[in-house]
Amino acid sequence: MRVIEPWVAEPLERFLAESAARVVLLTTSSGQVVAQHGFTRALDVMSASALGAAIMASTEELGRLTASGASRSLSHQGPSRGLFLSAFDLPQGRWIGLVVYDRDSSLGLVRLFFDRLVGELQAVAPAEVPAREVLAADFENELNASLRSLFGR
Amino acid sequence: MSLVNFTTREITCKIVYYGPGRSGKTTNLQYIYGRVPEGRRGRMVSLATQSDRTLFFDFLPIDLGSISGFTTRFQLYTVPGQVYYNATRKLVLQGADGVVFVGDSQARRYDDNVESLQNLQENLLAQGVDIRQLPVVFQYNKQDLPRDLILSPDELDDALNFRGVRSFGADCLHGHGVFETLKGISELVLQRLAAGSSAA
Repeated sequence: MRVIEPWVAEPLERFLAESAARVVLLTTSSGQVVAQHGFTRALDVMSASALGAAIMASTEELGRLTASGASRSLSHQGPSRGLFLSAFDLPQGRWIGLVVYDRDSSLGLVRLFFDRLVGELQAVAPAEVPAREVLAADFENELNASLRSLFGR
Repeated sequence: MSLVNFTTREITCKIVYYGPGRSGKTTNLQYIYGRVPEGRRGRMVSLATQSDRTLFFDFLPIDLGSISGFTTRFQLYTVPGQVYYNATRKLVLQGADGVVFVGDSQARRYDDNVESLQNLQENLLAQGVDIRQLPVVFQYNKQDLPRDLILSPDELDDALNFRGVRSFGADCLHGHGVFETLKGISELVLQRLAAGSSAA
């Protein structure tokens, strides 16, 4: 399991165990990964997160444009695996859950326990995010060296 | 908004390449994809039409390495440049930490550049973002075309770059200016992060 916010870990662990899903990703609405758990090695996590966020954003916008109401969840059932996507709000902003499940679970189970996961996250999420120092003032030299090595210069 | 993981010491930032259709946004990402070692980039995802025009976005994650002790990753996106796709452009723009405006240097595309820049300002404003507060650099692509067909970077600066932000002449097909542009926007985004210093 990889989590950015430690308070996410316990509810996420419980969700995966109870729902019997294969993989769960939590991302921001712009597709940046906040947490991942399960068989994530078999998944291109960053691409899946970017695509999941795009699907949710376009689905919500389409709901708004057609006045059909913004759908916060959608699912896709493949021959052997299913995909469940759902957006929810926290004090940290809108997050998206992307869940992959197989025949060990079902859409109903995933939805049931995902709702519970959201409730637990909303209950434990801190209301305020404290400011912390991120980068040293002289980071440019390291950045330049990194970019030079990246481009083989 | 940049995502900072203090536990694993990782930073993730979102950079969006914006500009009129066929200005070279996807070409920028393709060049970067081709030059960056495999271990330091992810898969390039392109949601394109059958004629290879960007439909939704291109996506390329790259690993910049360690900066100030943080493993720093940039997620590069392009928007579809065609006017028709404004709704999807807005979605891709959400949460951008920085924007590269890729202009087409051809004189006949002048109006398209202006229109696209206005569209960028409008779409940011609709999301409550003032373009003056966002890291932005300009890239004037296709500078390799014959001189009588294109405008110079100075002329394009006069037309588009009112804020006097960093701008780069480029020939993305051959890679000229691609690295400099990425370096320029990376510096601005990380400078802003260093100044703001807040967790996600």
